[in-house]
Amino acid sequence: MKRIGFLINPIAGMGGRVGLKGTDGVVDEARKLGAQPVAPQRAAEAMRTLSRMLANAEPELKLMPIRWLTCSGSMGEDILRSSGFAKNDIEIVYTPSGESTAEDTRLAVQRFLGHDIALILFCGGDGTARDICSIVGLKVPILGIPSGVKMYSGVFGTSPARTAEIACNFLRGGLTTVQAEVLDLNEARYREGEWIVQLFHTVLTPDEPMHVQSAKALIEDASDAEVKNAIAEFLLELFQRDEIELVLLGPGSTVNSVGNRWGIKKTLLGIDAVVQGKLVGCDLNERQILNLLAEFKTRKLVLSPIGAQGFVLGRGNLQLSPDVIRAIGSQNIMVIATPAKLARTPVLRFDTGDAALDSELAGDGYIRVITGYRRRRLVKTML
Amino acid sequence: MPETDKHSIEKTVYELSSTGRSTNLMPECDVPETELPVDLLREDLHLSELSELDVVRHFIHLSQRNFSVDGGFYPLGSCTMKYNPKVNEVCARLEGFAQSHPLQRDDTVQGNLALMFELQEWLKEIGGFAAVSLQPTAGAQGELTALLMMRAYFRDRGETGRTQILIPDSAHGTNPASTTMAGFEALEIPSDEHGNLDLAALRTVCDVSVAGLMITNPNTLGLFERDIETIVQCVHDCGGLVYGDGANMNALAGVVRPGDLGIDIMHYNLHKTFGTPHGGGGPGSGPLGVSEKLADYLPGPMVRQTNNTEKLQFSFSLFTPEKTIGRMNSHFGSFGVFVRAYAYILQHGAEGLKQNALHAVLNANYLRELLRSVYPLSHDRICMHEFVLQGKIEGSSVRAVDISKRLLDYDFHPPTTYFPLIVSEALMIEPTETENKQTLDAFAEALKVIAREATDNPEILHTAPHTMPVGRLDEVRAARQLKLRGD
Repeated sequence: MKRIGFLINPIAGMGGRVGLKGTDGVVDEARKLGAQPVAPQRAAEAMRTLSRMLANAEPELKLMPIRWLTCSGSMGEDILRSSGFAKNDIEIVYTPSGESTAEDTRLAVQRFLGHDIALILFCGGDGTARDICSIVGLKVPILGIPSGVKMYSGVFGTSPARTAEIACNFLRGGLTTVQAEVLDLNEARYREGEWIVQLFHTVLTPDEPMHVQSAKALIEDASDAEVKNAIAEFLLELFQRDEIELVLLGPGSTVNSVGNRWGIKKTLLGIDAVVQGKLVGCDLNERQILNLLAEFKTRKLVLSPIGAQGFVLGRGNLQLSPDVIRAIGSQNIMVIATPAKLARTPVLRFDTGDAALDSELAGDGYIRVITGYRRRRLVKTML
Repeated sequence: MPETDKHSIEKTVYELSSTGRSTNLMPECDVPETELPVDLLREDLHLSELSELDVVRHFIHLSQRNFSVDGGFYPLGSCTMKYNPKVNEVCARLEGFAQSHPLQRDDTVQGNLALMFELQEWLKEIGGFAAVSLQPTAGAQGELTALLMMRAYFRDRGETGRTQILIPDSAHGTNPASTTMAGFEALEIPSDEHGNLDLAALRTVCDVSVAGLMITNPNTLGLFERDIETIVQCVHDCGGLVYGDGANMNALAGVVRPGDLGIDIMHYNLHKTFGTPHGGGGPGSGPLGVSEKLADYLPGPMVRQTNNTEKLQFSFSLFTPEKTIGRMNSHFGSFGVFVRAYAYILQHGAEGLKQNALHAVLNANYLRELLRSVYPLSHDRICMHEFVLQGKIEGSSVRAVDISKRLLDYDFHPPTTYFPLIVSEALMIEPTETENKQTLDAFAEALKVIAREATDNPEILHTAPHTMPVGRLDEVRAARQLKLRGD
């Protein structure tokens, strides 16, 4: 028996159509402007595809008992029923008191977690992903049917049909899970014209392992953790060779794994500083970083792009202001990523807010990314 | 089901074992018996007890369950599974070759040395190289040897800052692995939308940190690198060397000489291009051809010819180049493979080798044309000796692996699956020149039937194969939870 938590944020995506750049806290305004619900159709498209795929699947998957834990009405139940899933396989574990809110999402996830679920499948945008992650952490993988105004997080399928395909493969057991970043735009500031994307959480999400024939290709099916260890090992070798005094570690799960490998307890979302293998500063702000840079001559900054979006700077690491980057020196920035992450991140971007600096960072249209032990890859950049 | 049925599972020798059964072929002991040291003694050896007939049948049964080129079409891309002429086997078994010992004095194995010398000369001619060493025993060992030579070359020139080896993202996975083993850093260069190396990207990285470029031509997409001369020039201009991965030489032998294109160093795969049996781990042979400036670094021993004009005789002797990187082998390499490749080249001659390459390319393009309307092509352009399809059917949930497994039910070996990594759902097909039109038609027909099944009855694909001793294996689990013991 596989249990899957399924929930829809019925208002997700409404703001986008009427130019509100998000729906957080402005549902009524969106309605007044004539916004229609988007999420139900997107969810229905995904769930109808999934239901059809399961019906046509191999016997093992077709006959696999799947129990859908969901919320009543428009938060899940309606779509599941209309998409061809049997009534007996659907269990309502949460009923919102009125029109559903972010709090309802969080409470529903809380209920899901009491039932030994294998996956949370949701329909919404970055805001919904954030609400779910705040409860689920790294306990259960999550997968999003894209329906929001903003989808910067790495947990969404590229389309409802593609999300169904991923869910189907996950149920088949053909996928592994990787850590992905959950980001969100600060909507209030964005509506005032500022673009501030913050990194909020890291979560688990299903991912396609890189299958390769063993005869000719190097097995790139190494686990996420093994690749990150290899990257950490290589960085250490480089820093020792070049006698680097100060190492600044950026946010995100890839860089965090590097810290772990070195035996450092890094903050997941902040910029931390390491000197001679010891953590000397956590979650540093711009001023603190500049002070450290004044103190040490040889320095490196380790960053990893945000999966799929490809932002190396300007999303989730605003402490790294143009002044900080100039003080570090663009040649001292080391970008790291696993081959699996790069497979879904074809282009890297820099958005420090300083066009000249961004152009310098983007090189001649390509930059080198460390992808393993003594392995780098040339990756396209875009401004 | 009878035990000899190739569709049944063969028991292991331990399951077949019967206490007390043996094959008493040991001769009487003719030396004094001594006690074994106590710490080497064991109560139980866990050996199977079988008669000679049991053993023969067991291994015959296993061989009958093997898919082989002799038994069926084997279009495993990048592996060049062509027919291996039986005359090569006859030659390799000639007593003078088969019974000679690597430690015999040179003057007692002049025939063997003459064969090695001629093979070196022929490979120089075929590839356009100044010198050839037969030492490496596999393609990947050829790569490693080449990189070690490049390192020695730059060390001699005092250019120790050259640490980068450039590798296209379509390369065989062994390229970056060899690079790291040789102490270099691998820098992967992306391919462009035509499936060729991205020249603009290459130009941004060619500087004094570059030791060399490893390039396979045709590349693993089966496409000829159209800009090969510009690519070579770029790398040479920054002082680097160009290494050719000769794995796909079957498309070029007799037509183009890599040395003429400016390639400084290249390994051959004798076991692919020159028709000797391979697969299952060897033995392979990966001789290296090099340009003049690298000849002194080749691994020895190599064979040279000495003319004695007074006596009107010539003889063959071993030598090691002056600045050699050393041996890559305890002896001479895979001598049995040399004999087979020698026989193959002798049998075909220059014109025959050229015809083979042309037919290999023709066969691949013929199959590609038959299949292009059924499966999406990775790149829709004329291919060389192989091509890459995507194992996708619109509106169906089947994947490349399902198609490959289903081909087994139609008695065809699957193509290389999920490689190259830059193509999603890749199926890499290399028919080789030794297959006839009827076989290619039958293979294309099977793939067309499978495409229809993918829409009408996808379940039969998801659960394939259905005619093998074992059905679909959980390959992810097998790779992650290794179980290597039979008990």
